[in-house]
Amino acid sequence: MKRTLPILITFVVGVIMVGEFFIPHWRYRALTGEMLEWGIILAAGAFILGLINLVQVHLPTVVQRGTDWGYKAVLLVSLAVTLTMGFANGKERLASGMEATFSYKWIFDFVYTPLSATMFALLAFYIASAGFRAFRARNAEATLLLVAAALVMFASVPIGEGVPVIGEYLVVLKDWTLDVPNNAARRAIFIGAALGAISTGLRVILGLERSHLGGE
Amino acid sequence: MLDLLIRFQNMDRRWVFLGMALAIVLPMLVPFSLPFKVDQRVQDLYDRVEALEAGDTVYISADFDPGSRPELEPFFRTHLHHLFRQDVRVVMGTLWATAPPLVKPILEDIAQEYGKEYGKDWTFLGYVEGKELAIKSLGQSVRKTYPLDDRGNKTADLAVMAGLDAMRDFDILTSVSAGFPGTQAFVLQIQGQYNLEMASACTAVSAPDYIPYYQSGQLFGLSGGMPGSAQYEKLVYASVPPEKRPRLPATSGMNVLSIGHLYIIILLLLGNLAFFLTRGGEEN
Repeated sequence: MKRTLPILITFVVGVIMVGEFFIPHWRYRALTGEMLEWGIILAAGAFILGLINLVQVHLPTVVQRGTDWGYKAVLLVSLAVTLTMGFANGKERLASGMEATFSYKWIFDFVYTPLSATMFALLAFYIASAGFRAFRARNAEATLLLVAAALVMFASVPIGEGVPVIGEYLVVLKDWTLDVPNNAARRAIFIGAALGAISTGLRVILGLERSHLGGE
Repeated sequence: MLDLLIRFQNMDRRWVFLGMALAIVLPMLVPFSLPFKVDQRVQDLYDRVEALEAGDTVYISADFDPGSRPELEPFFRTHLHHLFRQDVRVVMGTLWATAPPLVKPILEDIAQEYGKEYGKDWTFLGYVEGKELAIKSLGQSVRKTYPLDDRGNKTADLAVMAGLDAMRDFDILTSVSAGFPGTQAFVLQIQGQYNLEMASACTAVSAPDYIPYYQSGQLFGLSGGMPGSAQYEKLVYASVPPEKRPRLPATSGMNVLSIGHLYIIILLLLGNLAFFLTRGGEEN
């Protein structure tokens, strides 16, 4: 029963949702709409599970002064502070149309935004370093990749477009690379992934794939 | 010579970092302007928005965060200017928890600039969790997915939502997307099913992924990364006299991008040159 019931629920919900594509009737759409709403509520509820899980995983390490306990303490303190600030004056915030409380906005603008932007900006430095050290034309495939990457990078910016005489042709070649070989490969990947998703979806709906229920 | 090349190949990576820092900072300190052409994908996006009539409706899904801000915020701002200039009604929501504090003030400022009234000409529905489920639900009913807007008003009661519920009721759907959930999830979940007119502004790294959707007609326009944003700025502000134009961040960022890309290409060339020249020596 412990396994049969989830499999049965998966089957019924899966069949109803797939049916939406074939039954364009408003009553049927109302049913699937209701199910989607349940799904959204469950997904939002998963945040609470995530919160509990985060505390369960990190708090014992902090208490026992385990490996990297300092980082974990920072994580938990940040979580508590952001959560408290996020909930503070919730009703007034909605009524006034303010985006958030001052403290929450301050955390977003002066802690989260710079940290997030810094992480993303560091990529430029690591790409430069990795490209210089590891991107070598060791064989035909690597050479092709190297030439395509350099061409697309160079012709995508004004300095490449503006090269006298050849700039125009570089852009045409770059567009061709993106529109023809890139698209051919992407489509093959998309179609392969879609077939895989259909097959996995069918296996889940029919109860043949049970790894999401734990074990096996 | 061989020793020098081997040393060059193995130089401390902090020198590479320093060079990159200079490639970014110098074009900012010494501004210059390089001309660039507009890609057909961006031109199509612009043309479709230009063809909108007063009172038409656009749904924007603003799914980006501070990390992708330099690439996508310029497009987002310019798109809002473009839409309000066309007297189009704008409904905006987001599927990213980190987006509201970033996108809502921008929408408010630009709407105010054009004298647009909240609830009548535009609204912000806020953030909804559920990722693909939420997208699927938006396809069926925006009102049910967002029963309340960001200010706690009933979405169904807003004048801007009059006659609008399912996503296909909107004239255009614009996905400003920095990843998942974003453009790809919209295309897979609802664009095909409801045959929506959809455009995308995405990060440069995602653009090659979405070009097949543009070629197949699933996206009527596509703006990729900072170059796409700069091209869109160029089109939207072409009719505005230079002295009346706001600061165009993507256009000025193109100089930084140019020098940054050039620097990486030079590193690639030098790295490979040193590799080939020293390969024989190292083997010996």
